[in-house]
Formats: sequence, C-alpha cells, structure tokens
Amino acid sequence: MQEEKDAPRHFFVHTEADLCLGCSLCVKRCPTRAIRVRDGKAAVKHSVCIGCGECIRICEQGAITASTSDLNSLSSDKISIALVSPVLYSQFPGILPRDILQGLKSMGFTHAVDMAYYFEMFQWATAEYVSRNRKTGESPWPLISPVCPVVIRLIVHRFPSLLPHVHPIMRPVALMARDVLSQFKHHYGIEGHDILLYYINPCPSKMGIPKKELGKGTHSTGALGINDIYAELSRQIKHLEKSDKIPFAQAGYEFEQCTSGGGILWSLSGGEAEATGLERILAVAGLYETITYLEKIEIGLFRDIEYIEFRACREGCIGGALNAIDKYLAKSAALKMSKVLGVGTRLNRERVLRLYDSNWFFPKVSPQDLKKIGGQQEKTFSFEEMRLIEEIVRIIDGKSCGACGSPDCRTFAEDLVKGEAAPEDCVYLELRGIQNTDLHEKLKSLKKRP
Amino acid sequence: MTSIHKSYHVAKNDFIHAGEASIHVKNLLKSMNYNQDLVRRVAICGYEAEMNLVMHGGDGELSVDVNSERVILEVADRGPGILDIELAMQEGYSTAKEEYREMGFGAGMGLPNMKKNSDALKITSEPGQGTHVSMTFYNKG
Ligand SMILES: Nc1ncnc2c1ncn2[C@@H]1O[C@H](COP(=O)(O)OP(=O)(O)OP(=O)(O)O)[C@@H](O)[C@H]1O
Ligand code: SF4
Ligand SMILES: [Mg+2]
Repeated sequence: MQEEKDAPRHFFVHTEADLCLGCSLCVKRCPTRAIRVRDGKAAVKHSVCIGCGECIRICEQGAITASTSDLNSLSSDKISIALVSPVLYSQFPGILPRDILQGLKSMGFTHAVDMAYYFEMFQWATAEYVSRNRKTGESPWPLISPVCPVVIRLIVHRFPSLLPHVHPIMRPVALMARDVLSQFKHHYGIEGHDILLYYINPCPSKMGIPKKELGKGTHSTGALGINDIYAELSRQIKHLEKSDKIPFAQAGYEFEQCTSGGGILWSLSGGEAEATGLERILAVAGLYETITYLEKIEIGLFRDIEYIEFRACREGCIGGALNAIDKYLAKSAALKMSKVLGVGTRLNRERVLRLYDSNWFFPKVSPQDLKKIGGQQEKTFSFEEMRLIEEIVRIIDGKSCGACGSPDCRTFAEDLVKGEAAPEDCVYLELRGIQNTDLHEKLKSLKKRP
Repeated sequence: MTSIHKSYHVAKNDFIHAGEASIHVKNLLKSMNYNQDLVRRVAICGYEAEMNLVMHGGDGELSVDVNSERVILEVADRGPGILDIELAMQEGYSTAKEEYREMGFGAGMGLPNMKKNSDALKITSEPGQGTHVSMTFYNKG
C-alpha cells in the first residue's frame, strides 16, 4: 500500500497495490487531483482527499476501498448507540423502519435512534435563520446546506471564498449526536466515555462526527458504512419476521420513536430543500454538478436564491457509495415508504424557538474553523512559479495523456514546479528536446528527494 | 515587467458555455493566491462582459493579462457595436430581447456593475464593427 508520509491520521480511502493496474482512471476522475500513479500504482495524497468516493466508484479492479471500521468494538460493557441515517430504511424495501431499528438492537446495539426528530429541529431552525437573515444580511445569499460533509470539504479545499455562505446551523446528525449523548449520560448516570455512538451512513467518506464539531463535554462519533452491517442486519430482520415480529418496545424518549415520511425524503435529492418550506431554493445532486454550481456562485450568480441543498452523491444520499442496493431501487422504496408513513410535523415551534434563542443550534465552530475540520486548502503558486508552469505547459503541448501519472499536462507542470515529479516522467518533454537546456537543469533541481 | 496572458474564445448566443471563460480566469487568479476581493471583482465583471457578448455582441475573445500589480481583463467582440456608449452605461438602460428578459437578464445593470467593480473601465465601439471592453483591477494586497 502506498501512503503519503505526512498524511493525517484519518484516511478516507485505501488502495490495494496488488489489485491496482496503474490505469489512471481514478487519477483523472478525482475532483481535488489527489491521486497520482507512482511506480505503476495509484497513490493517494490523503491530505487533499475529500472522501467523495469517486475513485471507489470508477475503479474497475476494486483496488480502492473506503476505510474500514470494525464492528468488533460492539462490546458488552459499554452502551452502544446506533445513530441511523434514514437511507438505511431505503435499503430494505417493504420493511417498516421500526423493524429495522429493532433489527439493529438484535444485532447488539443497546439503542437505535432515528434521525427524523433532528431533521425537524434543523428545518425549523433553518426557516428561522433565513427569515432573520433577510433583515440582518449576516450571511451572503445563497446559503449553502451544511449537511453533506463531502461538499463542505470540497468548499474548504477548492472554494474557501464561499465559506461565509455555509449555513451556520449545526447539521442534523451533529445535533443528534450531541443530544443523544447528553440524554443517555443522564439516563444511565454514567460518563460519556462509557457510551459509544455509531453513525450508520452511506457516505463514501464513512466519517463519524468529530468532537470539535460537537463541543465541550462530548466525544467523537464512530462511523459504520451501511454495507458493513447490511448482511447481519438482513439476517436479524428475517429472524424478526419469523418470530412473528416482536412487539416493538415502547420507546421512552421522543427521539427514539420512528421516522416520519418527511425524514425518509431526506435521503433523496431535494428532501432537505423541500422541508425548509422556503420558495427560493435549489437542490443540486452529484459531485460534478455541485462543482459547476460552486464555480457559478463564485462568479456572483444565484444571489437571488436563498438556500441550496448540495449532495455529492447522485440522486442524493441513496446514491452514497456505501449503500447495499442500487440507488433507483432505493429511491422507489423510499418514496413508497414516505407515503405509507405520511409527511407531517410533530414538533412544537415555540420550543424550537426557545432553543434557537439559547444558541442550541449554533456550533461552537465558525465557518472559518471548518477549515481546520475540513482539511487542506488547494496549493497556490507565486507569480514566477505560475509563469514557469505556463511555459512548461506550452512546451509539452500535449494531450493530457496521463502517462506521467498526473491527471493532465497542467497538473504535471504544477507537480514539476512543486518538486513532486521529474521531467523524464513526461514522454513529450523528451520529444520536444529540452535535454541540456537551462530549463531542464532547473526542473531537475526542483525535484525533491523521495 | 513580464506578465501572464491568456485568451478564451466566447461565442455569440452560446448560453450553455457562457461564463466558462470567467470561471477560468477566476481559477487562474485563485491559484496565484490573489486576494479574494480582487478575484471576486474580476469574476463579476468578466461574467457581465461575457453575457453582454453572448446576448448583444458577436463572436469574440475574453483575455486576461496578469502581473503582480494588476489584472487587465479585455472582452472584444465582432458584433453590431454600441451606438451611444453613454446611454448604454446608464443604470436600467437595456435593449435586451424579450426572451432574454424572461431568462432574468436585461435589467440594464451589467455595464454599471462593471464600472462599480473595476478600478478603470474603457469601452470603445465602432457601430457595425464590434465592441471592446477593457477593465483594470489593481492588486492592493
Ligand atoms: N457587447 C455589446 N455589443 C452590443 N451592445 C452591447 C454590448 N454590451 C452592451 N450593449 C448594449 O448596452 C446595453 C446595456 O448593457 P448592460 O450590460 O448594462 O445591460 P443589459 O445587458 O441589457 O442587462 P443586464 O446586464 O442587467 O442583464 C445593452 O442592453 C446593449 O444594448
Ligand atoms: S450525498 Fe449523502 S451519502 Fe453522499 S457524501 Fe453527501 S451526505 Fe454522504
Ligand atoms: Mg449585460
């Protein structure tokens, strides 16, 4: 396995050198240009990886996988709580959410908590923020949904000037993790570290919720991909069916109750935007569509839109890379189930507003702090470096063939200037006869020793 | 002082690709770590000029010339030209066709916006020959 030396502790993806053919499909696909082929194998620069999962999806060899997390840690001496993304329900067509939650308990989770309640909290708070923002102008339009972590990391990395657009309300899963932790601590009269939270989700980046995002007195939340638990959960649900469905234990807390149809719609593109009840909204799904829109917001468009829901995965979270069933089957299942359960609200608006005014919804981190959570900003170049890059691109005059291991000629030129590639990696540079020129000497001298 | 010069073709009536040249320019400046405010101003002006070319002008080029002190953005087209530049500069003045108004354009705010967001704006036009818009932005930090 090829890993960069100074990589952060958390890797979103792993490459399997034995399976990798060095074909560079992933290199060309990566939206942050984080992959190169080096010595015939794909190597990921983890410091600029945003965990979008495009490489996982495109690799025909299955040589790239999401970071693994093991379930072994479901130990009996701790309280383990599953935080359930509604996408999970769409993976079991025709099965009621409460049976799926019950299945999780049979698997060994002490509790399985549905997210619908926090979606509702979030949507009330969002409507409130938007209406106040119309008067205060505190945040620039359009507000960008904070929900999809891949989109936030993309903004940090490639569009930092858009950080002030990020809607400053905590995303539902963070509200949930913080609240569930404090309520169960109280309920069992135990310390936080005796409670393990697992966020069950389809995100390709399979990342939990960092402590930094939750604030004081919390700890970070682990993550499980839906496909990690799918087989075992299916077995448990079948077992439930056989034993003629154990009557669902009456949940003592409102947040442990089952989802609403509205909650289920959050797993589809547009579900969140629709729930805001606002009119000037957009819902954009898919990584490359998202990038196109962010580029346009950055040149000043969409100022007449108040809120944009972005999802990195096509069709929304049901298109997440770690789902178990196809996104269109899941979509159909989700639409049916939302009809069965009905869309309605059950929260008391007064109470939400009181919480709002007590700052319950606002993270202790500012959008600028997101930079720290979200990773590294794209590298920039000095004027002289940029001139050199332009000159190299002009000399190569290539077709972005990818033989050098970089995604395109320009990125190769940047890699040369950064000292991360050597002139002889490019077949064209040799052909253009740069050997024995000053430029060649200069480029060779830039190369960092491995 | 030498500079970096780039040029992009922009086609009349091409709404699908309109804005792409400005996005390229914006990304070039971003990758050179120009300050966010300057990048924003260049991007807004580039987009307005590009849209004017697409809607009112003819085929042409958007080009940018960058050094560490300033950015010069030029948009030149071979379209019908502007008869009365002073009038065109007025807020709210627009000859945009009905179909463009329905798309949300034609507020007559493009040129005034370009004036507001650039440090210097120069328009030359020869009726029947085309329009040339040149804008300068100083890098103040
Ligand atoms: N490149 C051009 N070629 C010919 N005419 C132009 C050109 N650019 C601007 N004009 C004329 O100047 C007018 C004013 O331009 P301006 O950009 O201010 O407003 P607009 O394009 O009509 O509306 P908006 O920019 O608000 O969508 C245009 O309606 C058009 O008549
Ligand atoms: S679209 Fe949904 S599943 Fe995909 S990365 Fe974003 S939040 Fe996760
Ligand atoms: Mg205009």
